[in-house]
Amino acid sequence: MPEQLPLPPGTLELLILKAVSLGALHGYGILTRIEQITRGALLTEQGALYPALSRLEHQGLLDSEWGISSTNRRAKFYRLTTAGRRRLREEALSWNRVAAAIGAVLSAKLQEG
Amino acid sequence: MFARLRSLWRHFRHRTRTEGELDDELRVHLEERAEDLVRSGLSAEEARRRAHIEFGSAENYKVSVRESRRLTWLEDFLSDLRFGLRALGGSPGFAVVAVLTLTVGIAANTTIFSWIRSVLLNPLPGAGAPERVVALESIAPSGEWFLTSYLDFRDFRIYTKCFESMSVAYPMGLFTGDDRSVERVRAQLVSGSFFDLLRIRPEAGRFFAGSELDDVQNAHPVVVISHSYWASHYRSDPSAIGSSIRLNRHLYTIVGIAPPGFQGSQPGLSFDMWALATMHGQLNAAGDWMLQDRKTRMFYVLARLAPGLTLEQARREVRAFARRMAEADADTNQGMSADIFPMWKSHYGLQESLLAPLSILMGAAGVLLLIVCANVANLLLARATSRHKEFSVRLALGAPRSRLVRQLLTESFLLAFCGALAGLGLAQQLTGALQYLIPGGALRYYLSRPPVDFGVLVFTVLLTVGVAFVAGMAPALHAAHGNVNEALKEGGRSASSSRTAQRFRGLLVVSEMALAVVALVGAGLFVKSFRIARAIHPGFDTHQVAMAQFSMSSAGYDRQHADSFCRRLREQLERGPGVVSVSYADYVPLGFGGDSWEDLQIEGYVPGASENMKIYRTLVSPGYFQSLKIPLLEGRDFTLQDDRDHLPVMIVNQEFVRRFLRNQYPIGVKVNGWGKWFTIVGVVQDTKVFRLTEPPRPYFYVPIRQIYRPEMTYTFFVRTSAPLNDAIAALLTDAKAIDPASPPVNTISLEEFIQQSLFSQKIAANLLSILAATAILLAAVGLYSVMAYSVVRRTNEIGIRVTLGARPANIMRMVVVHGLLFGLAGFIAGSLVAIALGRLLSSTLVSVSPADPVVYAATAAFALVIVLAASAIPARRAMRVDPMVALRYE
Repeated sequence: MPEQLPLPPGTLELLILKAVSLGALHGYGILTRIEQITRGALLTEQGALYPALSRLEHQGLLDSEWGISSTNRRAKFYRLTTAGRRRLREEALSWNRVAAAIGAVLSAKLQEG
Repeated sequence: MFARLRSLWRHFRHRTRTEGELDDELRVHLEERAEDLVRSGLSAEEARRRAHIEFGSAENYKVSVRESRRLTWLEDFLSDLRFGLRALGGSPGFAVVAVLTLTVGIAANTTIFSWIRSVLLNPLPGAGAPERVVALESIAPSGEWFLTSYLDFRDFRIYTKCFESMSVAYPMGLFTGDDRSVERVRAQLVSGSFFDLLRIRPEAGRFFAGSELDDVQNAHPVVVISHSYWASHYRSDPSAIGSSIRLNRHLYTIVGIAPPGFQGSQPGLSFDMWALATMHGQLNAAGDWMLQDRKTRMFYVLARLAPGLTLEQARREVRAFARRMAEADADTNQGMSADIFPMWKSHYGLQESLLAPLSILMGAAGVLLLIVCANVANLLLARATSRHKEFSVRLALGAPRSRLVRQLLTESFLLAFCGALAGLGLAQQLTGALQYLIPGGALRYYLSRPPVDFGVLVFTVLLTVGVAFVAGMAPALHAAHGNVNEALKEGGRSASSSRTAQRFRGLLVVSEMALAVVALVGAGLFVKSFRIARAIHPGFDTHQVAMAQFSMSSAGYDRQHADSFCRRLREQLERGPGVVSVSYADYVPLGFGGDSWEDLQIEGYVPGASENMKIYRTLVSPGYFQSLKIPLLEGRDFTLQDDRDHLPVMIVNQEFVRRFLRNQYPIGVKVNGWGKWFTIVGVVQDTKVFRLTEPPRPYFYVPIRQIYRPEMTYTFFVRTSAPLNDAIAALLTDAKAIDPASPPVNTISLEEFIQQSLFSQKIAANLLSILAATAILLAAVGLYSVMAYSVVRRTNEIGIRVTLGARPANIMRMVVVHGLLFGLAGFIAGSLVAIALGRLLSSTLVSVSPADPVVYAATAAFALVIVLAASAIPARRAMRVDPMVALRYE
């Protein structure tokens, strides 16, 4: 099992949006997709996924419908809405920007020292 | 927004289903996880345990899922509210100025709306389906509006089919109590069908019914009292019903209580009780002839349209029937006609005189509110600019822009809401002020206090929401659309974004100035018009004259009693110190009151085919012309000998002579009226009768002792050289000494009384001045805030200028010119709007052109002073900039 890092606060929703951006997934599917993307299970408690899904759906960023999972169970599948896709793009941009800024600051410090 | 609504909808619709679905969803998760774990080598039992542990408390998560569905919106709102309160608390100066500004705007609009509502929009509070109730009015051959005689009313009621029911209404001051202590009450004499017509149910007891609905005179001494009279005089005791009350010395029985809020059928006025019109003869001590005389046109007529009939259809029938009456009763009704109107268009009562001024005031209040919005937007924008860094950080941290817009709108809503609360409180105080705009006199006595009721509340709430949006939207959008990167890079001083904000604020200030100029021009026009109207000489002298009115009928006097009362009072008053002349008459010129005409036949004058020979007149005592200083041009005044035992005599005015007695020496000409021949013994100068602005009209005077009408109200005039208040006091005490049971009403100076003729002019001029002053003040605050901010922003630049050798005077000029440019732009824009709007006012103005250059010049001068004052403080601050400090300033 890979090393487990705690998920930075506020990033779970971004990860969910990213996870479903490639196609509709049900709850457990999203969890495994996040594990794949992050190369490790970052959630301290898997249940935290569901309030986040509910919030995103409530904000109109996700849409859901019932379908059949790969294990032949009736499950709720989540899909990005247009607003969700836009939000993902915006968040990704600003995330990259902040990360780049932090990176720049850190490298500047290194040169100084 | 729609997504959220959809989600809410889903939530409410499938609440129970989603609960079950959530269980399913979590169960699938646990099962699939357990299967995966089994595949990685765990036992089924261990895998299930692990799956549960990894998941955490399913119950807790279910709760938070439910909450996330239900509460995000409310939570966001509450957190916005908390944040807003904290943000406003952080800059109390800004919050106070903004809330005060909003308070003024909202209070002004709420107050004027409550007046409009009570007088024009909701003229019959408490009535059912009031839009079907109309006023029926008679029209004289000259086109003038008249009240209606009882017989005409009765014929309309019996012979027309367009009304479900009809009722008369006649306002009458009555006296309750016995000889020792009397109290005046405001009564309406009405038909038995009055309350049914208005669809009003009694609070207790009953309304008129049965034989009370017929036309038999003086048969039913019953009365319905108002809810507030019941509360104030009977402590709301149910046993009041059935008890007796003495009205004008006659015993009446209280049969019912009107519901709370019902004030009678005359918009804006309130009454204490309602008796039957058929009791008029008894209450008035006039006998029953007045209800049997077609020429005694004294009743307001209300009617409810028959079901399914439109006003136009009813109007056609009313007109046709009035034409038939004019032929059938040609001796009294020749040439007369009739028409019906919605209550708010009726020609009698407050609505007639208030329609124009209130509409204009509402417009002015709207202008004021726009200025308020611009001002608050301006303040918010200034704040948004200084909070730019805060917003940028929040945007960078991922707050959606819509969330920021909402946050700022919540703040402007918070401000508007505080302003509305304070505004409503202020409006509560102001609504009663309507009475101060009406000069003392009969009308003020009947005036009701417009309530701040549910309708007004709805208006205020809508207004508040509108204001919050209008004032908050631009700053909110501006703040939310700032460029994050730039803002962060420049350390919170985004040059381009604050430049657009500053430009927008400049635009706001210019529009504020423009609106204030519109208000000022409007006020200026009305003030000038009022001045001109007031300066018109009425043809008589109102200074140093005290007056008091006595109702002979209320005191139960017959002719002999009335004569002796008047004689004794006159003698008593004449003995007072400084008294120059005492007289009495049945009419006060330029008052609001009713007036009478008589059909005249003039010796040697042949009227045209449709010429109106109904000439207005006053019955006067000897000395009347002296009391009012109306110059006697020919002949003699009346004397004490001109009574009913001597030859009937008459005095006419100049216009009478010009119109009817061309080429003839007027003295000695005989004129027929009231079935008698009068001899003209004198000619007096023309006077204004109804309005100061009217052209001269033929008029005549007859000795009051030669014509007796029992319903008459006698008005005593006392011209004095002593202080006027002494004469007013003497009128009260002398009358009381002669008969304590006949107290006078309207005991005031004649000057104050006749101001009623300028009533609407006065309201418009006074209130518009107040609104305009407030408007320019608010605009000045807006200008000041922009100027002050601009000076702060340019501190650097000013420092450089000073370093390069600019003198304080140059700096000051730079700032003041900046302010003047705003002022000039505002003045030009405002003048253009004012000229365009001025045409709407031309009909309400007296001899003032809407483009009056003096008014515009005065407005410009006033605006200039205000602009200079608003620029002075920022300019001073700019002059004192220390270049060393300024250059370091960032």
